[in-house]
This record gives sequence, C-alpha cells and structure tokens, in this order.
Amino acid sequence: MIQGKKIALLPLLMCGFLFGYCIREEAPNAEADIESCTLPGDVLNREPEIGNDRITLYLKKGTPLTALAPEFTLTPGATIVPESGTVRDFTTPQTYTVTSEDGRWHKEYRITAMSDVFSNTLFSFENTRMNTNQKYYIFYETGADGKTTMEWASGNAGFLMTGKGKTPEDYPTSLSADGYEGSCLLLTTCETGSFGTMMNMPIAAGNLFTGFFNVTEALSSPLKATHFGTTVDKEPVSLSGWYRYESGPTFYTFDKGSKKMQPQPGRQDNFHIYGVFYESTDEMPHLDGTNALDDANPNIISVADFVGDGDAAEWTEFSIDFKPRPGRQADPLKLAAGQYKLAIVFTSSLHGELFEGAPGSRLWVDEVRLTNKEQ
Amino acid sequence: MMKKGLAYFFACVGAIAVHTAAVAQEDYTIGIRRSASVGLEYEIRAGINIGGTSPLPLPVEIRQIGSYSPTFCSSIEGNAVKWFGERRKWGMLLGLRIETKGMETDARVKNYRMEIVGDGGERIKGNWTGGVRTKYRGTMFTVPVAATYRINKRLRLDCGPYISFATDGDFSGHVYEGYLRENDPTGDKVVFEDDRIATYDFSDDLRTVQYGLQAGINWKAFKHLTVSGSLLWGLNGIFKKDFDTVTFTMYPVYMNIGFGYAF
Repeated sequence: MIQGKKIALLPLLMCGFLFGYCIREEAPNAEADIESCTLPGDVLNREPEIGNDRITLYLKKGTPLTALAPEFTLTPGATIVPESGTVRDFTTPQTYTVTSEDGRWHKEYRITAMSDVFSNTLFSFENTRMNTNQKYYIFYETGADGKTTMEWASGNAGFLMTGKGKTPEDYPTSLSADGYEGSCLLLTTCETGSFGTMMNMPIAAGNLFTGFFNVTEALSSPLKATHFGTTVDKEPVSLSGWYRYESGPTFYTFDKGSKKMQPQPGRQDNFHIYGVFYESTDEMPHLDGTNALDDANPNIISVADFVGDGDAAEWTEFSIDFKPRPGRQADPLKLAAGQYKLAIVFTSSLHGELFEGAPGSRLWVDEVRLTNKEQ
Repeated sequence: MMKKGLAYFFACVGAIAVHTAAVAQEDYTIGIRRSASVGLEYEIRAGINIGGTSPLPLPVEIRQIGSYSPTFCSSIEGNAVKWFGERRKWGMLLGLRIETKGMETDARVKNYRMEIVGDGGERIKGNWTGGVRTKYRGTMFTVPVAATYRINKRLRLDCGPYISFATDGDFSGHVYEGYLRENDPTGDKVVFEDDRIATYDFSDDLRTVQYGLQAGINWKAFKHLTVSGSLLWGLNGIFKKDFDTVTFTMYPVYMNIGFGYAF
C-alpha cells in the first residue's frame, strides 16, 4: 500500500498505527453518466452520439418514433429514471435523470431520436441556445414544424476548460447581431491563456461544423475530437453564402519545446470554409481533423473548398462547388439508405488545427445556402 | 540522492562532533561548570526530518499511494535545558532549530475537488480522477519550548509546542493520466493521457508561520554524545487560510532523528 525507502518506515509506522494513516474505503461514485445507449432490434442507422447531457439516436429511415425503449449502461451504481428499457414516445425529445451512486449528483439527459435525415438548405444563424451551464452559444437548425433538426458542433466545450471565457462573447464560436440579415455566426481566433499553453494549444480558432465535438478527446487527441459530418440523403452541388473577415495583427506558430508562441512577421491569417461529402463506413464512421481533406481518403466523394484570400471589410459573397474526387461517385442506393454524410466546416484560422494563426482573426458568416442535386 | 544526502549528513555530524569535542576538551570552562551547577545544560544537535505533509486522516479521495519519498531534509538545533528542584527531575527546554521539511509523493485520487488559477487569472475548477505528483520542501527557523522530564541519568523526555517561521518553500507538482470533470462530477469529462499533464505551483500560497507540538526522547549514549528522536506534529496547515485550491488542510507531520553533543 505505502511503499518507500526503508528509512521512511519508522515515522510511517508511528503515524500509521496511531492515527489511521491508511487508504480508506472507497467512496461511492459521484458520477452520473450514461455510458452507452442502444435500441433493441436492428433500427439504428449508426452509433448514437453520446454527449455529456445529450444523446442523439440516428434511426433507419422511416422508423416510427412513437414507441422506442432505449437501454442504457450507467456509471457503476448510478440509477436512471425512467428505467432502462422503458417504452416512450420519441416524437419529441425525452428527458432522463441519472442519479449517482452516492445520491448527491443528478444529471438530466435529453435524448433525441431522428429517423429523417437532415434536410435544411439555408443556414441563417438565427437560432441559438446556451449550453447547460450557460457559458457559450450552441447554434441549431429547425424544420418547418419548428422542431430542432440539427445542432451545429463547435470546439467551445474545449475552450471552456481554459477558464478564459467569462461571457459567451469571449468564446471562439459566438453570435453577432451584426449579420448580413438578422444575426450571424461570429468565429474568433482566441488565445487560450496559461492552461491552453500548458497543453500545447495556445490558440483556439473559432469553428462551427456539422457533426459532433467529443470534448472528452479534446486534450488527448484534439484533431480526432471533431467528428465531422451529419447524415444526408441528397448529393451536394454547391455551398454559397456571405462573409466578412478581419485577420488578427500577428500570426503565431507555437514552439512546444519552449512553450512559447513565435510571431511570424509576413504571414497573414486566413479563414477556411469547406464542405466534404463522404461515405460513412464501419471503418470510418466519420471524418475528423486528421483525414477530412486527405487526398488519399477513399471515403470522400466530393469536396468544396474555399481558403480565404485576405480581409473583407464589407459583406462578400462566396460560392463553392463540390468537386468530385477522381473516379468517385455517390451510389443512389447507399444515399437512400443514409450511408453518406456531409461535413460543412467554418473556421477563422486556416491552420487552427495546428494551433497556428493570428489571435483576433474574426470571420462573420451568414445566409449560407446548400444546393443539392435534383433527384 | 538519498544516500548521498545521508553521507553528507553523517559527515556534517562527524565534523561538528569532532570540532565541538576539541573545543570542549580544551575549554570545558568555568562557564559550563557554573551553568551545570545552577541546573543549566546545553546541547547542539544535527538531524534529519522524515515525514510528510498530508491531510489527516487520509481523505477518501486518495485511492492509492504509488510512491513516497521523504527526500533529504536536515536540521541543526541548539537547545538549552534548565532543570528545577533538588532532584532535577523536571525542567524546561528552549531551542532554536534550522530545518527543512519535505516529501515527494505520487498518488492516485478519485473525484478530487480542485480549482486552479492561471497566470492570467483564468480559473478552472472541477473534479480530478487520476494521478497526482506532489513535491513539498520548506525551510524554516523553529523555536521549540518544551517541558523536560529526566527518567534516569541517560534518558530524557521532552514535550511541548513549537513555532516555525518559514524562509523558503516550494509546493508544486502535476496531474497526469486521468480525467477532469468540469465544475462538478456531472460536468464535461476531459481525458488526460500520454504526456498530457497539468502542472501546478502553490509555493506562493504557503504559510509563513507554522506551529505544532513536539514530543521527543533523548538518550545519552556516551558522556557527550546523545541520540534523539522527536515527533513534530503540525497543528496548522501549511497553506494560507484563504487558499482553497487544496481543499484539505495539509498538516506537516515529521519525525526528527538526530545526534547531538551535550556540553
């Protein structure tokens, strides 16, 4: 139990026997996580996305939502209400409460089941809500019935861990009232302060993407924490919209050895907007920061890529076409079966994933339109 | 390191003993004799402190102590004892000790509540599960005041309070291989693995004045050579009162083992 040099034994024995200086019995768990979630029968189209307090179940197209009975595994000792296996109507998202083993902590999960693929084509960035602890914005899209059809992902949950964000506007991914029409998306490249630098992540570029940000991986493998793409059943043709850009004053790279940001005079920051249409397979269910634009990636069907070309003080229009990769095309059967995904990514620093960029770079984006192939 | 330290220590003790013996022989003067006649005794002593700084008892959050090293912590001390009464059974000790107290530990914790403040005032708080390495080293002047009791010619007990004034201190370390739950156990979970570590340094939050109790035994092995052991039990935490990053009160508890020269 306690190892040490022999010389340490004397006081340790004294203290140990006299004062109970030893490892005490383990306390009951304080965590209240849903660790996994499944549905009986072959109804899931892909693995559920399990966030800290939200779960999205992607069902095969046309699966009725009225009577689903999700089954959960929880943090050991934790309990859930309603119980695992309870049949519920998921026409609207359902709430579950998990209580930790020690009874002191409760976490509410909101579970959404979707059997329709995401079909919005105009993104105006008018809809936001705050994350659970009211720190940062989350953008979402709604359908004709007003229900949420998709939540955009961002790295904000990672930035939260730097302790730098005092208001939602301090976060790299935020909302601006100053849109082309109404409000718009505002992405800012931010410095991450002493904690970010300690983790070799001195800056955080503002980013927004279709998919899921797995904050659990944000430190251990940051490029893999961005799960790009959401299921679509139409093939994209082009992506257009409006932007403004202001590059930050000084471009920095990072030297891991000295943990210092190195100014790079002469380098200017640029934004990056891109779309990737790809096949989701068992081997590669989603793209991430390591492979989303990889020329050799066999899953990618087509890419629309727009690297910024300097500052734009006025609202400027962009339009980019999805260019098919040589020899690659979508299979209509797979498309109908929901086996393709579309990643749309906006970032305020082109090399933000390498933690290079100019703090203060700002990208405003509004009225983005996705054009799909007529079927 | 430990071995080298010990060798150095014994060399020092040896040097002090030889030197004082030489001085003493030549000059076992009227002053000392006079002192002895009124019940005053003097001794000097060199020792090492072995122990740790820890919450007591260990909190449930600490699940495993992977390694512990007392490090090399020395002390040099001068004491005066005034004996009372005819039989000189009871007395008072007043001393001055220059000492270091230190340790290095590597522990695994579960659901350990922490809050750290960055250079720019950034705050992160949450619950950590994983590895914690800690290094503590404090240098201080200590004034012990103790009641002494003589069991026989060779054996003396002492017990009383001490007060320490720290001149220098280091409390630092890092967390590794584990995960942080942001804000509380239901918050976002962020995994630290491989070489991802978060360092901390609370040296500036160490208290200047520490106090506690000490109880010791002193054995006169030869006419002038004494061997002693004392338990130094800190009664206040090593951190300032308003410091709440380390949520437990960390008490310094050390064993001092020393050799001395009695005049």
